[in-house]
Amino acid sequence: MLVQAILLGLVAMLGNAEYLLGTSLLSRPIVMGTLTGIVLGDIPTGVALGATLELAFMGSFSIGASIPPEMISGTVLGTAFTITTGAGPETAITVGIPVASLVLIAKNIGMVFILPPFVHKADDYAAKGDMKGVARMHFLGGFFGVNLIIGLCVGCGYYAGGPAVNALLSVIPEWVNNGLQITMGLLPAIGFGLLLKMIMNKEVACFFILGFALSVYLGIPTTGIAIFGVIIAIVLTQLKSNKVQGELVQGGNDDDDDF
Amino acid sequence: MTTSNKKQLTKKELNKVFWRSFGLEWDWNYERQMNMGYAYCMLPVIEKLYDNKEDQIEAMQRHLEFFNTTPHLATLILGISAAMEESNANDEDFDTESINNVKVSLMGPLAGIGDSFIWGTLRIIATGIGLSLATKGNLLGPILFLLIFNLPAQGLRYYLMNAGYKLGSTFLTKIQQSGLMKKLTYAASVLGLMVVGAMTAENVSINFPLAFGTGDEATTLGDIFNSIMPGFAPLMFTLFVYWLLKKKNVKTTTLLLVCVAIGLVGSFFGILGV
Repeated sequence: MLVQAILLGLVAMLGNAEYLLGTSLLSRPIVMGTLTGIVLGDIPTGVALGATLELAFMGSFSIGASIPPEMISGTVLGTAFTITTGAGPETAITVGIPVASLVLIAKNIGMVFILPPFVHKADDYAAKGDMKGVARMHFLGGFFGVNLIIGLCVGCGYYAGGPAVNALLSVIPEWVNNGLQITMGLLPAIGFGLLLKMIMNKEVACFFILGFALSVYLGIPTTGIAIFGVIIAIVLTQLKSNKVQGELVQGGNDDDDDF
Repeated sequence: MTTSNKKQLTKKELNKVFWRSFGLEWDWNYERQMNMGYAYCMLPVIEKLYDNKEDQIEAMQRHLEFFNTTPHLATLILGISAAMEESNANDEDFDTESINNVKVSLMGPLAGIGDSFIWGTLRIIATGIGLSLATKGNLLGPILFLLIFNLPAQGLRYYLMNAGYKLGSTFLTKIQQSGLMKKLTYAASVLGLMVVGAMTAENVSINFPLAFGTGDEATTLGDIFNSIMPGFAPLMFTLFVYWLLKKKNVKTTTLLLVCVAIGLVGSFFGILGV
């Protein structure tokens, strides 16, 4: 139990270390769920629960200055308790979402009270011309300000939370479980809505419908639609640039493509 | 003047900057966002170019200023900064203000294209393919997810590092004049939208089990919606959420709670089903 708690804490820290490792998406539920499954010795369930939570947290990604719910802890604890209690996938959501909101508070405390002193200390070192000092603040700031906090929340949460979660799960009525399963079907819409907000405008809105229609009428899987999408994007970009060139040179002869 | 005392960066420093850029977001902070990571990336450049302590201090303070952009593409700006620091080290009249001005003017447009390409397209394709395997518990799902995202993203990070250094501060004007930035954004949004459309169809689900009529005549509300178009209700719900986000500026946390509430209420009254 203690060993598992420590290992899960380390998994969570590895997830947050994505920000030291090229923003490589290690923190996404699909990866964190898998690693949790490996620690608890049930890889297929871990992967599947990771996928469930990936859909639920589809809208949680940080662009610009927005800080999303702390999905690492939500995923690791949600997956872990679902595996240890042997409950259905909706349990991962029941546990994961409140945990993610709670740990976000802890993370924010770190970002407001612990991290800024490191940033200011780096300014002091820079003023003294101490390069090693600046580098040290960079590593220590991220570690104590964010990384360790998430690891501790997950490790302690797993160690202490087991009985509480068990008790909670036994009192939840059937209609609530059902309701949460319905919610699981709705949550991805938030993620897709956010993406649409980011990339959709009038000129390209039809391609959203195209992707949707190809899927529901022809049953083409996402990978297939991505392949068609690449081809359509290339063809349209070429058509567009030919048109622009044509207009510029008043229908003059076609240049070879500019690649 | 001989070339021997001309300060020049080598492949070695640029590679160091590239590897250090992996930690740009490690201590992202509310005050100056990626400033610590940026300064850490620039340290090898500063060490190589300036012997004088005063110059080193100035350069470090310069790069501890506010910075934020899509992290995988930030090497473009790092490369440009490196090239400009190099010019500065060799030219006493170089306007050091311009180094940060270029940083600030580039990070916005770069984040614009980066967010739609990296987050809106690449991440979604990787997620879509990864999920299709992972929902069945297949370990290949997460592995493919990481590979599909990281091979292009980190490859781009490496390419842009060198491109930025070679082209220096003329880079932005060049690609804006050629219209390349616009073309790339357009292509990325076409592809991204098709994949988001497909994933909406596959992953958003709403079921209405309540039946109308009796016996053979019985139909459910869900059947009626599906006869308009399969997946009609999920599509409308997704567009509704989009509308709330775009026009009403509703927060995602609020939407999350709304989804939980719809699920619970729908389940309690039996309007919605699994």
